[in-house]
Amino acid sequence: MVDPTLLALIHAEIDGELDDRQRAELSRGLLSDPALRALREEMQRLCRALDAVPQVEPPAQLRADIFAALPQISPRRSPATWASPKWRYAAVLAGILLTGAIVSRMMDFGQESSVNEMSGTLAARRTAVTVDMVQISDGGVSGRASLIREGAELALSLQLAANAPVDVLIASGEHFVRVNGLAAPGSPGAGSTRIALPGFGGGVGPIRLTFMRGDHQIGQAVLEEPTGH
Amino acid sequence: MKEYDDGALVQRTLNGDRGAFEELVVRYQRPVYNAALRLLRDPEEAKDVAQTTFLSVFEHLADYDPSYKFYSWIYRIAVNESINTLGRRKAHEDISGEEMERSPGPDRLAESEQSRAAIEAALMRITPELRSVVVLRHVMDLSYEDMAATLALPEKTVKSRLYSARQQLRSMLIHEGTS
Repeated sequence: MVDPTLLALIHAEIDGELDDRQRAELSRGLLSDPALRALREEMQRLCRALDAVPQVEPPAQLRADIFAALPQISPRRSPATWASPKWRYAAVLAGILLTGAIVSRMMDFGQESSVNEMSGTLAARRTAVTVDMVQISDGGVSGRASLIREGAELALSLQLAANAPVDVLIASGEHFVRVNGLAAPGSPGAGSTRIALPGFGGGVGPIRLTFMRGDHQIGQAVLEEPTGH
Repeated sequence: MKEYDDGALVQRTLNGDRGAFEELVVRYQRPVYNAALRLLRDPEEAKDVAQTTFLSVFEHLADYDPSYKFYSWIYRIAVNESINTLGRRKAHEDISGEEMERSPGPDRLAESEQSRAAIEAALMRITPELRSVVVLRHVMDLSYEDMAATLALPEKTVKSRLYSARQQLRSMLIHEGTS
């Protein structure tokens, strides 16, 4: 049985992390223990083999793919999560306001509209430029949200992963859209979803995404088109 | 041509200079790709991880703390992305079995190549957490201190994992008669 302290010194020797005192201690152990010497040789051989695993060149296309996927803006600080009570209260208030707005619109138009019918439609594919992107990692939902400019219109691309369906509230100024049942494997909205945002363009300010599971908010993100687009 | 340090390139990128970010990509695409490749042993997944890593770096560049080494930060993102990718693989996938089947027989390989194939296959049979430290040490050539910073773990834990990983690899290779 090899002394664990001496075994650790063998590893540290291989990694070039021994000081003089440790080196002397290891030398004494090696002199007195043939099994330790054999183990040291085996470890050195293993580590030489690990060091010799060749590095390969990345695919030639990688760099171009990275730049093609970059949003057309400078990087900026990602938005804070909704962990604080202040944001939770704000979310509840936003939910109440959104619900009120939905009811108000239904009454205004005098039609039996549902929340789903007010959801965004799939955008036609035209020349599209990603103007902002955020990573989402809020525990219950993860993935990426991208804001896309298509001519005069804005669209949202969501690539979400979650273990149960997620509803998304998209709000900016007086505009809002709700999309239900995204992200969960097997659900209609699993994978990548593209949502047109008619009326959201034209300097409406930040576009807030609120991710809901049932009545519970599980995350949020903020996207904003830089001025000049 | 003047070569900027990582911190200067980060600052220039934050000031809107995309060419500076391109320099960072050129500088780190090879180590990031190789780290992902050794963790995943799948070139296509490694390419995806490398791409996601750089996009994440770009998106969160303003959050980078320059008091830490830039490469520790980017390698951490790459390792985490790789481990997430491993987690998404189907549970029934038996990587070690697959790799052993794919490996050519001893009669078709030179001894050194046979040894390398055996080591790569053995690497895939240790846990991703242990494999990460082996890759950071032997592929990325990081010190204990840099490995600890990259993995956000105490140095003591990093050493313990590295030693444990080597012991497991040694046992596997001895068992297979390739050590």
